[in-house]
Amino acid sequence: MFRIVSRGRIKSPWIFHLNTGSCNGCDIEIVAAFTPRYDLERFGCLLVGSPRHADVLLVTGPVTRQMLPRLIRVYEQIPEPKVVVAVGTCASSGSPFLGSEMVEGPVDRIIPVDTYIVGCPPRPEAIASGIITAVMSKFR
Amino acid sequence: MNAAIALIISFPAVLLISLLFEGIDRKLHARMQKRIGPPVIQPFYDLIKLFNKGRVIPLTASVRVFEIMPMIAAAVSLLGASILLSGILFGLSMIGDLIVVMYLLAMSSIALMVGGSASGNPYSAIGFSRKMSMMIAYEVPMFIAVISVAFGSTPSLAIDRIIKFQANLGLPLAASRPSMSLAAAAFLLCMPAASSAIPFDIPEAKTEIIYGLLVEYCGPYLALAKIAKAASNFALTLLASIVFLYIPSLLWENAPLNSGISLSLCLTTALLIMFTTMTVPRTILARLKIGQALKFYWMVPLTLSLSSIILSAAGL
Ligand code: SF4
Repeated sequence: MFRIVSRGRIKSPWIFHLNTGSCNGCDIEIVAAFTPRYDLERFGCLLVGSPRHADVLLVTGPVTRQMLPRLIRVYEQIPEPKVVVAVGTCASSGSPFLGSEMVEGPVDRIIPVDTYIVGCPPRPEAIASGIITAVMSKFR
Repeated sequence: MNAAIALIISFPAVLLISLLFEGIDRKLHARMQKRIGPPVIQPFYDLIKLFNKGRVIPLTASVRVFEIMPMIAAAVSLLGASILLSGILFGLSMIGDLIVVMYLLAMSSIALMVGGSASGNPYSAIGFSRKMSMMIAYEVPMFIAVISVAFGSTPSLAIDRIIKFQANLGLPLAASRPSMSLAAAAFLLCMPAASSAIPFDIPEAKTEIIYGLLVEYCGPYLALAKIAKAASNFALTLLASIVFLYIPSLLWENAPLNSGISLSLCLTTALLIMFTTMTVPRTILARLKIGQALKFYWMVPLTLSLSSIILSAAGL
């Protein structure tokens, strides 16, 4: 019974994508991962518009001060169990923006992150593999 | 066989088949876009996951209505589909079950509307008003088409009488007379709106009002809403395939009612109808505005169904 549940969770990760001040490079690569060439939907992923439907939270960008409360709020709106994936170097380490007074990031200073996908921007294959790795390790 | 037992047997069958239909629809949609697409059993994975997720209920919601309505929607549309299925399977029928099925399907949309608007989310309110306009647009021609069929075959609202009529005729109803083909055309044109497939997915417009009515539903409630939608889509396609395009009537004079062959033929027809009226428009068209959709439905299908009534009154 438990194995069926975990298989269902692994096989249908629905994704909510939150931009916390990224330069839009990572966002475009996330969209590219859903195009026919990379086709994330073959793993059961869907890009949903409401955090209530989501299992995976994709965060891009070094959390800016304006986005801080919103990031926390969106994270709390996702029903359990949930996975957080930090996409891009900005979200993973804060990279060039670290230490700026406008930036509160990186993401793992604020919410628990399960997988980091580095790259500026990461390639769609990397995003796909990051999402699958996160889901496989968390829901097994 | 007792009617209640037949219905209870066909409940899980309906659930299984309607989810499979949804999976096939998603797979075909993906293949038409040159994608690999999710596996055919993807809706089952989705449901297992959704039923095992936590629930978040918004503070602004009126909790009872918000919780109960998805259950009513799922139960009602499953019941509608299983009345049709047990009609083919066991020859089970009662007086006026055509109207009962149409009513149950409309009721499932209304239950979702009420539940969604009880969430207190502004996007749900927009979804509610759009769904209301869409229902006014498509329900009227659909009901008129069904009534025209009821008059045009043996004047009867019982599905098994209509099936027997087609079997005696040796022709599907849509091919029998011009008035009936007009009614079938009107009904099939209403299907994309009734299933909110893409040119008419205005009430749930994902990229615009984030699923509209479903925006606040999560976990088990979302799963129930998905079941309601899959089952009512299945019921609509099955209804069209039984009432208008009963293919088994071509094979045998007085086709045996409750044979497995006629059931599988009906399901194949239903699948084809789903492909042409939901999957293809969903893949190749873009979303309309609510005014355009309303205009389309009141210009084309309403005219078709009204002229079908007039023709059948004239005996054509
Ligand atoms: S990692 Fe690079 S591409 Fe992604 S948001 Fe930061 S700067 Fe832009």
